Amino acid sequence: MVIQEEYRGARQWSRNRQAVATVVWISFLAAAVATMLFFALFDPVELAAAYDPELEIGRQAGYAIGFFFFWFISAGCSAVTAWLVRTAPKRDKQHR
Amino acid sequence: MSQSDRPRAAALYESAKKIYPREIKGRFENLSKLATYSLLGLFYAMPWLMWDDRQAFLFDLPARKFYLLGLTLWPQDFIYLAWLLMMAAFSLFFFTALAGRLWCGFACPQTVWTEAFIWMEQWTEGTRSQRMKLDKAPWSWNKLRRKGSKQFLWITFSMWTGFTFVGYFTPIRELAVDIAAFNVGGWTLFWGVFYGFATYGNAGYMREQVCKYMCPYARFQSVMFDKDTLVISYDEKRGEPRGGRKRSVDRKAEGLGDCIDCTLCVQVCPTGIDIRDGLQYECIACAACIDACDSIMDKMNYPRGLVRYTTEHAMQGEKTRVIRPRMFVYAGLLTVLMTALITSMVTRTPLIVDVIRDRNTLYRELPGDLIENAYTIKILNQSNEPRRFRLSVDGVPGLELDGVDAEIPVDGGGVLSLPVRARTHRNNTYGIMDITFTATAVDDDSVTKTEDSRFLGPTP
Repeated sequence: MVIQEEYRGARQWSRNRQAVATVVWISFLAAAVATMLFFALFDPVELAAAYDPELEIGRQAGYAIGFFFFWFISAGCSAVTAWLVRTAPKRDKQHR
Repeated sequence: MSQSDRPRAAALYESAKKIYPREIKGRFENLSKLATYSLLGLFYAMPWLMWDDRQAFLFDLPARKFYLLGLTLWPQDFIYLAWLLMMAAFSLFFFTALAGRLWCGFACPQTVWTEAFIWMEQWTEGTRSQRMKLDKAPWSWNKLRRKGSKQFLWITFSMWTGFTFVGYFTPIRELAVDIAAFNVGGWTLFWGVFYGFATYGNAGYMREQVCKYMCPYARFQSVMFDKDTLVISYDEKRGEPRGGRKRSVDRKAEGLGDCIDCTLCVQVCPTGIDIRDGLQYECIACAACIDACDSIMDKMNYPRGLVRYTTEHAMQGEKTRVIRPRMFVYAGLLTVLMTALITSMVTRTPLIVDVIRDRNTLYRELPGDLIENAYTIKILNQSNEPRRFRLSVDGVPGLELDGVDAEIPVDGGGVLSLPVRARTHRNNTYGIMDITFTATAVDDDSVTKTEDSRFLGPTP
């Protein structure tokens, strides 16, 4: 008897969708950690002042910019890694 | 776990099938409800709690101060947060080794919010079969009304979630007033909507896909499993051969096992798997299938537990050992971490001293053969009351401070930046010398901090 396909079989994501979701999510986590570590050590207001004394950036804006910067960097890194791993030439049987 | 060797209908699966988890009542559903109510309750209530005249849990990012009940933490206390995260990780390992994916099934925010969103779906769109019918039906007034109410509930709940989340970082009472007056700061609004939207997407639409495709813990949790870990399992020996039958039928005479193949365990599964195929990594151990199967076993007058919490050892007829080296290692590490954290927090000195040497000049020569170095001293009074401090310097003979009062007042939770000059006779100096600054509270000698710095003088 075929097992109730009507009930079975969860929806499945395509590989591209998986890759995008994973890259975005994991880099989000990495960015969150990086933001916490970085801003525990550095005060965005002082950083902005050191960069350009005329620049006035609030702490909230500083944190947000930092967070998106880290997210952008880590997402880029994850995306390139995922792409390279997925598009690597197949290994032949001899070297498996 | 043995995989069933029946031919599987894998090729027949639709590539994208929405899961309609069926509602079920039972022991574990009650537990899950309890967990959802208490965890969500905590999340939504905590920012409203007050401690003295301030918010009890507030991570005041704009002011760079963290309030936890009576405690005020600073970015410099970040180590405590790291420590807490490590403890959380080891607790997770401990409970995973003991009872499998307890976290996934009952405590993970993804599970908890998904549960709440499914309740709202059930209130507006009805039971599983009603929901399936509704989705297949063409658009009608009824469908619009039901879908619309669901979206309304989901979006309201998500926005409330985003607002609460932001309330952990900006005083929530003021925020509530601001929102009522449509006067919310740009970033506050942004993060509220961002978090609200993430909740909506994750709990409303992505659901089990997050566990399957995006969660690192779900992938590696199995390494913490051994043959004594509690897992949810179908008793294949007892259940097979499965098959439908009337209640009156003597299953032994018919050569049937206890499984009546009602597929209820599959219908209730939020990740859409069949527990009878053995342990699968998609299983988040929510135990809905246990409730479902038990209800059927009761109806059939069969003993409960065809699907149950058990261990691989127990399934093989061996003894399950709860106490095993792995448990000792996790529990031991957890105890050490916790003791260290508590000790460190209790003995914490509520004072931080920072010394920055003026880098623009090496040293200054003053009349009377004096050599002077300039510093900026930062004194952070981490207690909640204003305090007076004494500052002293040591390390070079005859070294004295200039421009410093005998007692330096610093507000409770305040930072004082103090330009300080230290000078001594040139005969006492020799190139680069190590010195130490010490700040001590006037009212309490035990509140004291020493910071290293350098004193530069001419090399004779």
